[in-house]
Amino acid sequence: MNDAAETADALAEDSSGGGMRMTTGGAAQRRRLLRDSAGLAVLIAGVVAFPLLASPQLVFVAVFAGVFALAALGLSLLLGLAGQISLGQAGFLAIGAYTSAILTTRYEQNALLASVVAVAVTMVAAAAVGTPILRLRGHYLALATLGFGIIVAVVANQWDFTGGQSGIFGIRKVEFNGRLYDSPREQFWLVWSVVVGALILARNLASGRVGRALGAVNDSEVAAETLGVDTFRLRVQVFVLSAGLAAIAGSCYAHLVGVVNAQAASFLLSVELLLMAVVGGLASVWGAIVGAIFVRGLSEALTTYIPRVIPGASGEYQLIGFGIVLVLAVIYLPGGFVSAGARLARLPGARRRPRTTVPDGGGEGPTAAGDEAAGDTSPLLPREGRPAPGTAVLVVRGLELHFGGVRAVQSVDLEVRTGEIVGLIGPNGAGKTTLFNVVSGVLPPTAGTVEVGGARVEGRRPHAVAAARAARTFQNLEIFSSMTVVGNVAVGRHLRSRAGVVAGALALPARAEEHAIDAEARRLVELLGLGDVADSPAADLPFGRQRLVEIARALATEPDLLLLDEPMAGLSAFERAALARLLRRLRAGGMAILLVEHDIEAVMALADRVAVLDDGHRIAYGAPSEVSDDPAVIEAYLGADAEQTTLGGPA
Amino acid sequence: MTQAAPRLTVEGLSAGYGRIEVLHGLGLAVAPGELLAVVGANGAGKTTLLRVISGLLPARAGRVLLDGRAVTGMAAEKLASAGLAHVPENRLVFPGMSVADNLSLGAYARRRGSGEAVERDRRFVLDLFPRLADRLAQPAGTLSGGEQQMLAIGRGLMAGPKLLLLDEPSLGLAPKLVSEIFAVLGRLRDQGDLGIVLVEQNARAALRIADRAIVLDRGQVLLQGTPKALLDDSRVQAAYLGRGYTEVAR
Amino acid sequence: MTAGVIDFLQLTVAGLSAGSAYGLVAVGFVTIHSVTGIINLAQGEFAMVAAFVAIALLAAGLPLPIAGLLAVLVVALGAAVVERVAIAPAAGSSVVAYIMLTLGVSITLKASVLLIEGPQSKALPAFTGGILSFGGVLVRPQDLWILAATLVAALGLYAFLERTVTGKAFRACAEQPTAARLVGVSPARMSTLSFVLAGTVGAVAGVVSSPVIQTDWNIGLFLGLKGFVAASLGGLASIPAAIAGGLLLGVVESLGAFYVSSGLRDAIAFFVLIVVLVARPGGVFGRTQAAARV
Repeated sequence: MNDAAETADALAEDSSGGGMRMTTGGAAQRRRLLRDSAGLAVLIAGVVAFPLLASPQLVFVAVFAGVFALAALGLSLLLGLAGQISLGQAGFLAIGAYTSAILTTRYEQNALLASVVAVAVTMVAAAAVGTPILRLRGHYLALATLGFGIIVAVVANQWDFTGGQSGIFGIRKVEFNGRLYDSPREQFWLVWSVVVGALILARNLASGRVGRALGAVNDSEVAAETLGVDTFRLRVQVFVLSAGLAAIAGSCYAHLVGVVNAQAASFLLSVELLLMAVVGGLASVWGAIVGAIFVRGLSEALTTYIPRVIPGASGEYQLIGFGIVLVLAVIYLPGGFVSAGARLARLPGARRRPRTTVPDGGGEGPTAAGDEAAGDTSPLLPREGRPAPGTAVLVVRGLELHFGGVRAVQSVDLEVRTGEIVGLIGPNGAGKTTLFNVVSGVLPPTAGTVEVGGARVEGRRPHAVAAARAARTFQNLEIFSSMTVVGNVAVGRHLRSRAGVVAGALALPARAEEHAIDAEARRLVELLGLGDVADSPAADLPFGRQRLVEIARALATEPDLLLLDEPMAGLSAFERAALARLLRRLRAGGMAILLVEHDIEAVMALADRVAVLDDGHRIAYGAPSEVSDDPAVIEAYLGADAEQTTLGGPA
Repeated sequence: MTQAAPRLTVEGLSAGYGRIEVLHGLGLAVAPGELLAVVGANGAGKTTLLRVISGLLPARAGRVLLDGRAVTGMAAEKLASAGLAHVPENRLVFPGMSVADNLSLGAYARRRGSGEAVERDRRFVLDLFPRLADRLAQPAGTLSGGEQQMLAIGRGLMAGPKLLLLDEPSLGLAPKLVSEIFAVLGRLRDQGDLGIVLVEQNARAALRIADRAIVLDRGQVLLQGTPKALLDDSRVQAAYLGRGYTEVAR
Repeated sequence: MTAGVIDFLQLTVAGLSAGSAYGLVAVGFVTIHSVTGIINLAQGEFAMVAAFVAIALLAAGLPLPIAGLLAVLVVALGAAVVERVAIAPAAGSSVVAYIMLTLGVSITLKASVLLIEGPQSKALPAFTGGILSFGGVLVRPQDLWILAATLVAALGLYAFLERTVTGKAFRACAEQPTAARLVGVSPARMSTLSFVLAGTVGAVAGVVSSPVIQTDWNIGLFLGLKGFVAASLGGLASIPAAIAGGLLLGVVESLGAFYVSSGLRDAIAFFVLIVVLVARPGGVFGRTQAAARV
């Protein structure tokens, strides 16, 4: 099986010019890419052979399956990769089709040039539409895109420029040197080679930096943002790309059929495209292709057979099949055909990946702790260009945060300098995590200022705070549950790498960078003592070790300020000691660390200074020994037990 | 009411979220009229324990018995009419509805039962928390945190429960209100055969009113015993308070 | 009154009549969304199916009032079936999955009607004939029927939610689902109930507006979307705001179609939708919540 796959891989590389050698990554990723390449080889062989073997009618059906597969592929990227739904994909298809039609009929341009312009025009339109509406989520986005599609249809129907209700006729077919290419066979090869090209680009994009970042956003948007991922910008980019693919489909459609009218923007077509993406499966770029073939086949079958059962049937009654299949697919086939197929292939024999069961506290803790002798304080992860020791990296002044009537944080001042650990303690609900959320940009403050590395960041989005070199972990764990441990940490390298949507899709320039990301991620995973589970799904780890994953992930951003929210919770005594050593060594390397921790002993032992929050107020601030003698602290901390002032004696 | 069967028995209970197990084979029992305090550090599994008992989260292994009857796997909405009331973390009052409506919804599971018993419990609750009586028409969302906690407890009592689960009633409240609420819990304990499980972060306050207490550590019962014995046990301070606590206090 | 003023008033009345139907459909969105978090894209189809059922029952010889009431009943029960068959089995799915499920239901319903009834539009007869004139402003009696039915349906729903134990349990489930479970309210039952309520108000809208709007198999899309626009104007959270949103949209659309362009009538609503969604996510009548950042 493996041999066959490798052979197929070699074949695929040959036939596509070698532009798709896989990037590095875990063994799992390598296997996946191998399977993909095998699939591509089969697809390409099929594309070459199909028209030679099938009947012309069947080839004709397949041409349109290919056209719609392009638009469905765009939708699949948008849904599967960016987690955003669109019910207006046909609107972009129509813009592409109309642009092509107008350019060839009114301005006498050839089909190829018209197509290129059509795609460009559509992508510009998508950027203009997407920038406002992608601020919406879920239902609102779905309905806004639906509204967009309907507006396109209504305008196309009403506007003279687009030919009104009769649309545009006589669109030029594809021709080179005066020869028309319009036999079903030629159309098939033309369309499907575009499909194969688009599939390769989509696959590269999904498996590189952008795909990883978007996967992270789907798992935990807040964590991805705090690691520097500008989620909004990425969403707009994928939206534009998705519209571009719809425009290619629209353009192909216009030149194949020769006619375009407002039907091209119809809601029902948007639904059909959505069905293709969903039925095929969103987890893989292959889903859209499989889905398009299935849905076009279903449509043909229904239009053939329904009139035989119900003689008077007219109109778009095949929709009934679409509706039922959509409901059934969502309920019974949530991963679509592709993942159902993958499950089926895996059925015989045991599971390939044995489930990693790591007992609670089974890890060794951060290995970078250095010598077991607690005294090792050699600097760790220093960074060139980090502000001089003693520079205030975090300066919080007069911070206020009110939720409705609740004043969660009240006039809090705080400073953390390079090479310093500041402990932040206080009873549950005192506002510690809220303060973290404000500093890291997750919540905008009601008043007050936050400076990170000299830049004012209050009210900025988390990715901007991350760019100012602040990184954080989360008390309630925001792990990327669909990724491995290394994958989680690799997301942390987002800001320190550059491949964007275009470079990622073309894969070539991004390859070396992926190597570097992987190597750096593995180094940090080892540093945190997670080497034994590097390629395990992060979600399989016990909570304590997931916290270490979050720390590794935060360190991967090369921060100057590290915000740790209860990093010791759930760790064994041994792991705690190792983590404490790690933090001391990071401090020696010049890191500024703000530490929220329930384990008071750890805070007192580690921190240079301690701030105590109670009910949103900073009630004490100073050296650990001063703070621990402060009567206000003792009262706040030991709970509301008016009769007891010390913990010494029993009640 | 048989003396033999405990109000609540939990045997070998395991539960978790996703692929992570939080409770590992945990067991405990609460007798009628007993107040059991459950203390432990953040993440020890205290809230998870209550969520499994009340059916909000399925058990992966083990049994939950209410008055000797197995209720494991029963949905939360069914358990409400089986005599269990759970006052959840963060109170979760119905913010847009009046205090009176919140209380009457507490008796929702008894809507086919006697109106008299409900009315008696209503008077009892308003007597326990006179502040609520003054605010019956006010939307619950406009109450202070302490009043919302009182309302949440009152709503739980309106179910006429045999077993009351309380999750962090002191969370985020001013000391004075905490004493007020804990005084009421003391009254409830002495009231009769109501079994109470009190999950608390504020161990001192909880241990002062508990008949018995257990200390949870990473999903298992680390220790159990009388409050006094536990307060003296250095392992408690290590597991829950953090050893530093004693230093802070001295 | 000048002709201009009369035009304006007449358009306003027509807008209020159409807007009432949007408002009722919008109430259905709010009802289901408040308890389940789902936007039911089949909401408009409830109205469309109810109109066709009423038309069929009338054709079968039943008197109009009975046909209308039966149609509402059939759709209310049908909505419960939809919830049990298509929505409940996917409990716990993502927002996107629910969008696709209700979309699937919507498409199935409309294609079924297309297969049974064909593509032509049909209409119920007006409940009462003639035409009324108020100082030169002509009003179709059916417009008054629509406004009255909307008022009755909305008040009935309000009374149910505010006065009955089940209604309060329903609101509890919307406000605080976990606590509602803990007091014994079954979320599954409330989910079914939400579809029944939404089906009922949607069906009322479909039946009373059929004489005015001419029902065809595809009208559910526009009714549903405009209902959603109306619900969004009210922030998707409040029943009175949803009705107000419907009336406002109806009037804007009616005036816009006359003074701007009748061909763009349907685009107006969606343009309003996009602008409202982007500018005021909390709705025009709703409170503006600080946009959630997380």
